[in-house]
Amino acid sequence: MNTFTWSNLFRKDSREKSVLETLSQTHIFGNLSKRELGLVMQTIHVRDYAPGENIFSQGELGIGMYIILQGKVDVFSSGPTAREETRLVTQLQSGDFFGELALVEQQGRRSATAIASTDSSLIGFFKPDLMEILERQPQTGSKIVLRLAEVLGRRLKQTSLKLSELRLEAEINAGRLKT
Amino acid sequence: MSPHIRKLNRIRLAGFIGLLAFFLLAVVIVENLLVSTLVAFVISYLLNPIVNNMERNGLSRLWSTALTFLLAGLVIGVTVFLILPNFSSAILGLQKEAPNYISGFSQLIEELEAHLSELFGPLISLDLKEYAVGSLTHGSEVFFNRLPGFLKQTITVMLLGPFIAFFMVKDGRPLLRRALNIIPNHIFETALSLQHQINHQIGHFVRARLLEALIVGLVTWVGLVLVQFPFSLLLALFAAITNLIPYIGPLIGMIPALIIALVNGSSSVELFLVFSVFATAQVIDAFLLIPFFVAKIVNLHPVTVILVIIAGSQFMGVLGMIISIPLASALKVTFETLYLHLTESRI
Repeated sequence: MNTFTWSNLFRKDSREKSVLETLSQTHIFGNLSKRELGLVMQTIHVRDYAPGENIFSQGELGIGMYIILQGKVDVFSSGPTAREETRLVTQLQSGDFFGELALVEQQGRRSATAIASTDSSLIGFFKPDLMEILERQPQTGSKIVLRLAEVLGRRLKQTSLKLSELRLEAEINAGRLKT
Repeated sequence: MSPHIRKLNRIRLAGFIGLLAFFLLAVVIVENLLVSTLVAFVISYLLNPIVNNMERNGLSRLWSTALTFLLAGLVIGVTVFLILPNFSSAILGLQKEAPNYISGFSQLIEELEAHLSELFGPLISLDLKEYAVGSLTHGSEVFFNRLPGFLKQTITVMLLGPFIAFFMVKDGRPLLRRALNIIPNHIFETALSLQHQINHQIGHFVRARLLEALIVGLVTWVGLVLVQFPFSLLLALFAAITNLIPYIGPLIGMIPALIIALVNGSSSVELFLVFSVFATAQVIDAFLLIPFFVAKIVNLHPVTVILVIIAGSQFMGVLGMIISIPLASALKVTFETLYLHLTESRI
């Protein structure tokens, strides 16, 4: 009995350690001190998912982001019309994060569906948690918000680049068709 | 979703609902716990911003909470120490004067009855005097008889409320997080968002309403002292408390002062001055306090507010009238959030 309790305690400790490690390696929390990370640890939510379990669905109201602590997550997306087929966009693994746009959007809806493909543990960081940090330690909160803006800016840049490439490709294709 | 996940979700949801039901049942069944918990919520909503502010300045949560509670205790202690002699003499004076006020009031009613009989003749037969004096005598007897019991209950609540509030402020967040942990994954974001919105809205509402009551009470007190009206502190306190009841509260708050003025045979100028004091407090409330502090916090239609107050008074009397509005606004937020989360709109 005692052994069980002790082993559980150690497991909890090791899980906390791995959460802390994952957080410190995530870009959004990467420049926080140990003390600041301690505050983040007090606000985040560690959630366990079974294989095939939905993390969120496209079109649902989202309030935050997830960091993969352990396991794998598949991200699917379907086009604007219901008739279009759902396709796998990307496969994410330990250390990856997704859904961060919901942290800054007002009643933003999820742009894709995320499903756990293996037994997974995710760290959830939501708008109320960010608000709590901003309220209790504004300096820590602003560091997180700045990093978040950086990530969103980078994503926007990538999307614009991709869009330009697609436009160019379309123009070339149209030109070829004409000639 | 696989059957295993569905089963697990159902177990988690049942666990959460069970925990919530157990908490609500305990609060309702255990004597004084409901009022103590409500007081604790009010205290925690009032002091939480101060604790957060201290935490921002580098103090730990424990020290911020302990210092805030110590400071608040000190401020309340000094205030009570300063006004207690005045307050207790006012209560004793009122108890001594009560029979005079009742007989004076009965005389007023008698005169009113005579006027009505003159106007309408034998068409109507009123027994206003007996009814009014009977209920007033009974009411004041009940009030003074129940006062010791009420004071005992108040002391229990005043000790238990801050005690619960201390732990609510210090450990409320981790405890809430632990409770939220058992919520199934598919409704977790909805539940967290709902909890945050309700907490935010009720916190704002409680702070705004108490600030409003405090200012109305202070204005009434200063006004009554200026016009040299008796029992100014008691009447101002009564006006401040009844001001917590929307729409009808300010009218109820004015009644004792007007009765005292009428029974004392005050001149029409004095009566007008007393009325002006309460009216000024209400004008300040309506044109300055409500637009800046209260409006838009609880966005309920006036008809809804009246219906909710009536329902609250049916279930829990005056306490029900006071807590019905934040409860109704919490329900409104719940329905709105659930509706937003449940109606899936594809991008």
